[in-house]
Amino acid sequence: MANYKTTQTVWERLQHSKSRWQRQVLPGLIVIALVVFARTLGLLQELEWATLDSFLRWRPAEQPDDRVLNVGFVNADIQQVGAYPIPDQELAALLQVLAQHAPRAIAVDMIRDLPVEPGHGILAETLATSPNIFGIEKIAAEAVSPPRALPPGRIGFTDFPLDSDGFVRRAYLGAFPFIEHSDSDRFRFSLALQLAKAYLAEEGLVLENGLQNPENMRFGDTELWRVQSNSGGYVNTDATGVQVLIHPRSGKSPFKGVSMADVLEGRVDADLIRDRLVLIGVTSLSAKDLVNSAAVNASNPGRVYGVAMHAHITSQILSAVLDDRPMLRGWRDGWEYLWIVLWGGVGMLLVRYVPRPSWYMLSVGLIGLGLVGTGLALLWLGGWWVPVMPALMVFVVNGWVLPGFYFYDQTLRSRIDEHQRVIEHTYDAIHNGPLQTLALLLQQQEDLNPPISAKLDSLNQELRAIYQRLLQESLPLEEQLQLGSQEVVDLRNPLYEVLHEVYTKTLKRDFPGFDSIQFQIVKFEPMQVAGLSSDDRRSLCRFLEEALCNVGKHAVGAKRLTVLCLATESENLIRVEDNGRGDRVPSDAKTGGRGTQQALALAKRLHGTFQRSSPGMGIRCELRWPVPATNPWSR
Amino acid sequence: MTAAKLRQTLLIVDDHESVLGGAVSVLEKEYPNADIRTAKTAQEVKENLALAVPDLLVTDLSIPEAPGKSTQIETGIQLLRTLMETYPELNIVVQSAHVRSLIRIKPAIDSHQGGFTIADKNLPMREMLEKVDWALKGLIYTPRDMRTGIEVKPEWLEVLYLAFRDGLQDKAIAEQMNVSERTVRHYWTKVQDALSVYPEAGKNIRIQTEIRAREEGLID
Repeated sequence: MANYKTTQTVWERLQHSKSRWQRQVLPGLIVIALVVFARTLGLLQELEWATLDSFLRWRPAEQPDDRVLNVGFVNADIQQVGAYPIPDQELAALLQVLAQHAPRAIAVDMIRDLPVEPGHGILAETLATSPNIFGIEKIAAEAVSPPRALPPGRIGFTDFPLDSDGFVRRAYLGAFPFIEHSDSDRFRFSLALQLAKAYLAEEGLVLENGLQNPENMRFGDTELWRVQSNSGGYVNTDATGVQVLIHPRSGKSPFKGVSMADVLEGRVDADLIRDRLVLIGVTSLSAKDLVNSAAVNASNPGRVYGVAMHAHITSQILSAVLDDRPMLRGWRDGWEYLWIVLWGGVGMLLVRYVPRPSWYMLSVGLIGLGLVGTGLALLWLGGWWVPVMPALMVFVVNGWVLPGFYFYDQTLRSRIDEHQRVIEHTYDAIHNGPLQTLALLLQQQEDLNPPISAKLDSLNQELRAIYQRLLQESLPLEEQLQLGSQEVVDLRNPLYEVLHEVYTKTLKRDFPGFDSIQFQIVKFEPMQVAGLSSDDRRSLCRFLEEALCNVGKHAVGAKRLTVLCLATESENLIRVEDNGRGDRVPSDAKTGGRGTQQALALAKRLHGTFQRSSPGMGIRCELRWPVPATNPWSR
Repeated sequence: MTAAKLRQTLLIVDDHESVLGGAVSVLEKEYPNADIRTAKTAQEVKENLALAVPDLLVTDLSIPEAPGKSTQIETGIQLLRTLMETYPELNIVVQSAHVRSLIRIKPAIDSHQGGFTIADKNLPMREMLEKVDWALKGLIYTPRDMRTGIEVKPEWLEVLYLAFRDGLQDKAIAEQMNVSERTVRHYWTKVQDALSVYPEAGKNIRIQTEIRAREEGLID
């Protein structure tokens, strides 16, 4: 009982579900709803793309894929040949050297729609006679034809679907050319898929339709998960053709790379070529065969050679099929949003379980890091692209920003509690010391001489008055009712006691109407007040105060005052009645003055009735309202 | 004041050893046959009452809830609330210097059916003994400054009407009001307290009550 008041306060606050709902739950839900809404509008796309790129870059290095060899025309090669584009003659020579070592396939990732003399004849013959050399075409708006010497089965296109920020995150496996293309009705495969097909054919695996989703492509048991328009962080993206998310191989040098000169001068081990996929491309900045990607660890951040990107995509397919390396894919939309909502919920709940602000900030930080770590781990180990940023946003806002307000409120409250504790301790000290001594002295009052005895008495009263005053000051504002100028009533006590206090204190006020009163008939009994807000309680007290003040101000010659505050089985009743002279007309009865209006409004709010009548002599003010039903939803 | 013939049980509550000791020794002298027990905290009181209800409870208002907790008037008030609700016929003496704090629970005191007297701690011992005696007899005593003028409950007023206007005896009053005779006797003590009429040697208390009621205008 030591902290009767404080414990009651806390308990009442816990029970005050309405205010908790308003202060904590509702703002949290609004934050979640806003973020979810923003995401469906696509406002968070770029954030999620950037997160994906960073996460892909942060993954630990993977083993290099030695099934793929890059042969690049480096700056030195171009210098040595002395011409660019590299003439057909040199290209044909390179292809012949490579072909001697029996690679599974060679891709010429260079535009060769037109002859680059000298030596076009030799190149055409080499291409036509080597069954494992592939060439490229471009099938988007600015189409570029493939080398004429190649049959359609050995041509792959090298276009990329670009995101709105100009970066490459998706790759085509196959597509129809753009609509005005001279041969627009024929579905084509991309270079990466052509190479993978050629490589896997020797493993006995052929391209088939997906089993789990027939729109996917499949080799053996491995489905190549197709990009849908809302996959991962994408919102309404153009998912035409067959696209997959690029899952680049991590690490500084994921593939072996050699230069043209290395090959021609015999510096490349035959084993690096035999049975491999060889991709020939230009790897010189001057040639500008580059794509934007922040997901690959490139020497030139954000810029990757086209041929290297095709190597990544090809390797991704091979690794998925042969090594069970996961494909990169997102969750279904429903799961993504559930994940976001759950993190928002964690943010809302956290404040209840971590009591100290200093730890709290740390906890939010650590859990936030944990969320990022989880996202990274899911990507690294499972190839799952989960919405980390939206979840982080709702978690941090709900967990960090909203509780700021809550903590402010709590700090304020704990200051009040502290204040009250100091008062209690002070009082304890006074009570256990001086007041006890004083009490003993006062018991021997008869032995003391009267003036001293009287002074001791008043000392006693003064000491006790200090305590009462301090206690009143420490009452929280929303729980006090100010009566007159000095008196404060604690609204947290049972209503009938509070009303009694209002009655007692109001009757002490100096009103002419009270002078003639000989006696009061009073009855204050427990009322049925479950579900009354502290505002309602305050209004009921005001009603009683107003009714008594009206007697005090307007009653003439009233000898008897009746005040009833009680509950019958079905309703609560507050009645104030005097027996003053019957000829007085209440000043505001007809005009509907402020007091009457307030009483009527209160009656309406409580679903009850207010009546002001004159039964014989005097005036009767009466407020009745039904006992609330036990079901709290009925009100 | 004579000690009762039966062995009475008294429970004295105060958190101060010296005060407790003093009260016990005075009461022992006055009630030599009584079984006097003591308690120091609200918790102890509740445990004690759960075992056996005493004939009288003498309690301080400023007591701790449990040993080691701080001493508060609020604790005493809350204890009284609980006790009056659980044991509506318990005779209670409140010994306190904070008489005004009790105004808050006056409605509950008015509805309480046992004796209930308030002894200001600052008054001499013999006044305390008087209040103890009254409470044991089921009487009511509240200091005048706890009341706002003359305050009566409707049913007390009816007892006055039936007795002094219609001249009925308690038994007939009880029948009229449809309550027990015991309740009617209880209403008498309530209205006597409201009129500040208390037992005095050599005076008829009912006649005193009638005189005062007429003086105050309760009956015409």
